[in-house]
Amino acid sequence: MKNFYNISLMLATIFVCNILGFAQEDYFVPKTTLGGYGELHYNYVKNGNAKSTRTLDFHRFVLFFAHSWSEKWSLKSEVEIEHNLIEGGDKGAVELEQAYLNYQASDAFGVQVGVILPSVGLINEFHEPPVFMGVERPEYDTYIIPTTWFGNGAAVYGNVKGFDYKFTVMEGLKGDNFKAGSGIREGRQEGFKSDASDLLYNARLDYLNIPGLKIGASFTYNNATGDSVNNQVKLFETHAKYLADNIYAAFEYGNISFDEGNIKSSEGYYFDLGYNVADIVKTSSQIIPFVRYTDYNTASSTRSGGDIEKMYHFSKWMVGISFKPVGSVVLKADYSERTRELGSVKTKLFNLGAGYMF
Amino acid sequence: MGKKTNIIFIFILALGAYAYPQSIREKTFDIIHAELGKDVKIESSKFTIPPEIKNKVEHEAGQAFYSDAVYIFKIAERDSVISIGILDNVYGKSLPMTFIVLYSTNGEVLSTSVVKYREPYGGGVRLKSWNDQFKGKNSKSGFKIGKDIDSISGATISVRSLTKGIKKLTLLFEVIKDNL
Repeated sequence: MKNFYNISLMLATIFVCNILGFAQEDYFVPKTTLGGYGELHYNYVKNGNAKSTRTLDFHRFVLFFAHSWSEKWSLKSEVEIEHNLIEGGDKGAVELEQAYLNYQASDAFGVQVGVILPSVGLINEFHEPPVFMGVERPEYDTYIIPTTWFGNGAAVYGNVKGFDYKFTVMEGLKGDNFKAGSGIREGRQEGFKSDASDLLYNARLDYLNIPGLKIGASFTYNNATGDSVNNQVKLFETHAKYLADNIYAAFEYGNISFDEGNIKSSEGYYFDLGYNVADIVKTSSQIIPFVRYTDYNTASSTRSGGDIEKMYHFSKWMVGISFKPVGSVVLKADYSERTRELGSVKTKLFNLGAGYMF
Repeated sequence: MGKKTNIIFIFILALGAYAYPQSIREKTFDIIHAELGKDVKIESSKFTIPPEIKNKVEHEAGQAFYSDAVYIFKIAERDSVISIGILDNVYGKSLPMTFIVLYSTNGEVLSTSVVKYREPYGGGVRLKSWNDQFKGKNSKSGFKIGKDIDSISGATISVRSLTKGIKKLTLLFEVIKDNL
């Protein structure tokens, strides 16, 4: 009887304690949300003495569709139409770049399962037009880091005392598709009935405790599947971005080593330096002129040696400007001169862009 | 009490803790004590925002309220109110963030804190160093990102949303502070 009394009292206490706490539904209601981004580009390219080309391209139209069932369980997705038209041949593409179940156990630990993004560099996970400088993504983030890099797999992530980590296991790369001119880019399976014989492992750690600064590094390993022989790939990259006191600064460096095939390594880097002059010109919009220098070589060292190591070695200066009338809308312009080491071939590029995110 | 009862107690407590994992209320109280001292007395209530005030503040802040009500915390030391806290939600990319702003009685921000973050990306807004930028702001201060408030790489949407949310509560507090 005494025990019954004790238990009743405790149950009553717990019940009262719980109802005194705020009703959780005030803080969370299951919801479906929509977001997205898009970008229109005008590209002028003058390659050496060849005739110039001018292109207008609605490069990306993207919708983020998300649903939360509870505070911990949600679905995130990103569907993309590239280049406006999808047909056979070399027309655009429809891609499911993200579609994963997310379980957020706590600030320090969460899990993602589905089509996910490995955490490599600054752009792969954060590629909306208003968040980077230049009309096109940095060439480093095309040829060294093959953004947008996505595939089937799972990841754990979290943040502990300003250290942000993510560890990803996902479909591997197709080693036979690696090319001297594009590194590992063509090796991505992009979630299409992925060959899961040799999984890819990616670990990234960022430090966020210094105001405005994100600094970190990642390491990726894959014994990339080949028809006759696998090719062990190791990608190390480091990155930093600083956004404070009107300064925009970004830096990325990456190196990929290959155990098989002619290419021994791909390597590249870039840095951006910009300054928001809104205060100087007294406007409430953000106006950020910037400069970029980049150098990348998808065949920086080879087993054959020779001209191939100069053929894909490019360096480039860029000057440009980003104008943000509101934070989520950006108009961009940039001019750059790119030099290929082999033959010192110079290319002039001029781009205009309009982008948004919501 | 017997061992069995203790086990049942722990089990039920664990169940309660699971249903209300360190509740928003507990976390909020912890934050207030950390900011203003262990001995302060806290009194909380749900405040329904009058529609005309809600519309005006939403328009000025450029962001809708999560619901028609916010939670108000009166924080007193030796029987005199030293601070008022307002707890609210704003949407990040797709999930709500719960945050509290503590004000001095004349409407100045003493501190801002994220009580609960639910997104896999953009968690940088939890950092104290970022939140410290709001200290001293009032309803007349600038809240422009990139100018008055630094952004965070990888947390663009959370920064924008939370900054508007803090501005919104600051405008609200200015209107309601004399009636609390």
